[in-house]
Amino acid sequence: MPALYALLVGIAMGALLQRVRASSPRMILANLRLENLSIIKFMATTIAVGMILVYLLDAAAPQLLHFDIKPTYLIGVALGGVIFGVGFALGGYCPGTCVVGASEGRRDARYAILGGVVGALLFTLLYTVLLEPVMRLLDLGKVRLQDYVHLPAIAVALIVAGALLTMVRLLPTTRGTPR
Amino acid sequence: MTPSAATTAVPERATTRAATAGLPAWATLGILFGLVSAASIVLWGPIGVSGTYPRFVGAVLRLFDPAYAASNPYLVKMGALFKPETFLVVGLVIGGFLAARTDKRTRVPEVERVHAMETSDAARHRDAFIGGLLIVFGARLAGGCTSGHIISGITQLSLSGIVFGAAVFASGIFTAKLIRKGA
Repeated sequence: MPALYALLVGIAMGALLQRVRASSPRMILANLRLENLSIIKFMATTIAVGMILVYLLDAAAPQLLHFDIKPTYLIGVALGGVIFGVGFALGGYCPGTCVVGASEGRRDARYAILGGVVGALLFTLLYTVLLEPVMRLLDLGKVRLQDYVHLPAIAVALIVAGALLTMVRLLPTTRGTPR
Repeated sequence: MTPSAATTAVPERATTRAATAGLPAWATLGILFGLVSAASIVLWGPIGVSGTYPRFVGAVLRLFDPAYAASNPYLVKMGALFKPETFLVVGLVIGGFLAARTDKRTRVPEVERVHAMETSDAARHRDAFIGGLLIVFGARLAGGCTSGHIISGITQLSLSGIVFGAAVFASGIFTAKLIRKGA
């Protein structure tokens, strides 16, 4: 059953990413150049809505949720993010949007997927000697914001979601246009 | 997905307002994606994509060199290809294809050149390849990508998602501005 659910979630996600134009490298670059913030605002909206929903549900019926928290090994996570950002700005794709791009007929997206497979192979080969030690540095474990503040999770979720939605509301989408 | 009727007179931009809610398209799509991402956490787990790349590499290596594949701790850790995440990636292909096919207003270009240094399609393919390599390498080092860390991670209030998201956008915006100035 999880396989079928994941397939359906993937279909919806693929359609949404295509329609918001997240699979267009030109649109991604317009966002990273801060000329058009529609994808950044789309992501912030997604996160805020999802956060409110899962933490409302968590307060009411926690047994329904399949939370899966990734460990915060600070050096590896930050370094990985910096490398990811360079590739994101160069290619204009992320690991999911290049799959969507290829499915809608973008030729360069196929090269991005090929690059991704080579990147995964390189990572696999270097893991034992180079990367595993880095991934042990400053490991805080599977921590969430509510572990650091003395507030219920739902309160933290509402504050963070509120901040994200306020940012979305205040920032202009394109230069010179309100919202 | 999006209401396509009655929007023909509106300019073809991602900032186009959806006809029904009076919201910009990105906001409507963002609310829908938020519902989907929450539903995923209820149904099986948070969405994530980049782990499928090393699982695919592992599946291929198991065919050609099973002894090496069994001895590599990362491939062992990531496990077999038969995981929900793999079906999610299959879903991305189907969903992206259907959404593009049913959108009559915009035609998807085969190649979009995005940097001044991309003077040929070959140069664009090169940038896409190197970009693809770096995003998956970086995502595997961090333990997740835009979906696993930024969308799912921050949705769950995970510190790792916030650290990764800040690093990606700081580095991505800096790199995009640097390339633009002519590197």
